Amino acid sequence: MPLIEVDKVSKAFRIPSVHRQTIREHLLGVLEPRRFQSLQVLDGVSMEIRRGETVGIMGRNGSGKSTLLKVICGIFLPDQGRVSTRAAITPILELGVGWNPDLDAVDNVLLIGSVMGLSLQQIRRSMNEILAFAELERFANLKLMHYSSGMSARLGYAVAFQAVREVLVLDEIFAVGDVGFRERCEERYRQLKSLGHTVIVVSHDPRIISTFCDRAVLLDGGHIVMDGVSADVADRYVSMLTHQSGSGQSGSG
Amino acid sequence: MEAVAEALRPVGARRAAFPHAGLIWTLVRTDFKARYHGTLGGFVWALLKPVCMFVVLMGVFSFLFASKPEYKLNLIVGLFLWDFFGEGTKSGLMSLHARGFLLSKARIPSWILVVTAISNAMITLGVFSLVIVAFLLVTGHAPTGEALVAFAMYCAALTAMVIGFSLAASVLFLRYRDLNQVWEVVLQAGFFLAPIIYPLEILPERFHFYLYLWPPTPIIEFSRSVLVRGVMPTTTGHVYLALDAISCLVAGIFIFWRLSPRAAEYL
Repeated sequence: MPLIEVDKVSKAFRIPSVHRQTIREHLLGVLEPRRFQSLQVLDGVSMEIRRGETVGIMGRNGSGKSTLLKVICGIFLPDQGRVSTRAAITPILELGVGWNPDLDAVDNVLLIGSVMGLSLQQIRRSMNEILAFAELERFANLKLMHYSSGMSARLGYAVAFQAVREVLVLDEIFAVGDVGFRERCEERYRQLKSLGHTVIVVSHDPRIISTFCDRAVLLDGGHIVMDGVSADVADRYVSMLTHQSGSGQSGSG
Repeated sequence: MEAVAEALRPVGARRAAFPHAGLIWTLVRTDFKARYHGTLGGFVWALLKPVCMFVVLMGVFSFLFASKPEYKLNLIVGLFLWDFFGEGTKSGLMSLHARGFLLSKARIPSWILVVTAISNAMITLGVFSLVIVAFLLVTGHAPTGEALVAFAMYCAALTAMVIGFSLAASVLFLRYRDLNQVWEVVLQAGFFLAPIIYPLEILPERFHFYLYLWPPTPIIEFSRSVLVRGVMPTTTGHVYLALDAISCLVAGIFIFWRLSPRAAEYL
């Protein structure tokens, strides 16, 4: 039985001709009806992920990678279709952005760790390890507002790598920190993989996908256009990019 | 095989009867810490605002209502209850926006983010309740046990209203980003609509019904009735208050239930 089952998932965003975000704008615009354009981000996506697999998700900007990831993690609801998960998921999404700037590293780690499903005892036990992983022991009691973006991103990865439950979901991993930190992340990743954790990785980087994943899917225009061995999918992605180069920019995903 | 099973066992598998207790505690604690800089001094400092308000209003309006010996007691009861209502609804309204970074991280029951945002206001209300009781004792209005139980029930009803409002407003704020400004105006007008600085009796009887439609009014009036005057409100009054609180809470839960599943898309 697959651990995660994505069944004909579709997701569209309604893009209005004019953005109205306030009551004032809605009242003033009451006589000017807006037109809505539907942006189909995912269109009947189906895939299965088995226990212990490492699956890469590739695709250009706007191909629906991040949306698919959020649907799998249960952060976005699909319009149609169904996602069934039979395991606890630890998502590492948009790390580095999203801390409480008024709290120090220790409190932020407690906050994010408990959101990710760890008990306070477990977080306190791994606190030193987390801070050491991020090389931030000296700044443990510094408020996050004084952190650089690199420091806070490192802290994010450190928490999430410690907080891994059954499934680890990584969005643009290994794009943070210096060579030493990246190597530590890669080392930890291999360790988790060898322990039998299931991992889903989203990346633009063909090297990362072919090195760290057994299998990969290629998304384009909200469809899965290829599902196979990661190296083959990475090659297809590169050839798709070279083929498409010069045909202009795509939207953001 | 067992080693793999052990490794695959969720790290966070210690699922107690209430799995989010750790999250709730951390949210309450960090909220308190961030707001009051983690010190008792910071908390006391925050209490100064309504206390100063009380001193100033008492100084000015005691002259106006000099004929009413209970004016000070009525003022302190009204003002502190209003402070909870204002602070609680304001933090509740902004809660999902302010804690949105947690919403986009993992799947958590988002109502926790809203309800814990009111915790600070609730702590303040607890402290103020003690201040009110102390004030009553000093002025020779020692409240009966019955009166204290009734007052606790009114506080619970007010909390239910604040939670109901916050649940609805927090998801609506993500769609209407000036809702906080509108609410500020409503609160400002509401301060005068509720009989806080003036006794309700100075208004003609025929308007009382309309004032009672504003949820803080019955809470404040009933609390004064039991604590200051020592008179228990009628059963009809209590039924009205209970229905008022329940309908605020149910309406809030309904709006939240409809809109919150897509809240992450509006962040």
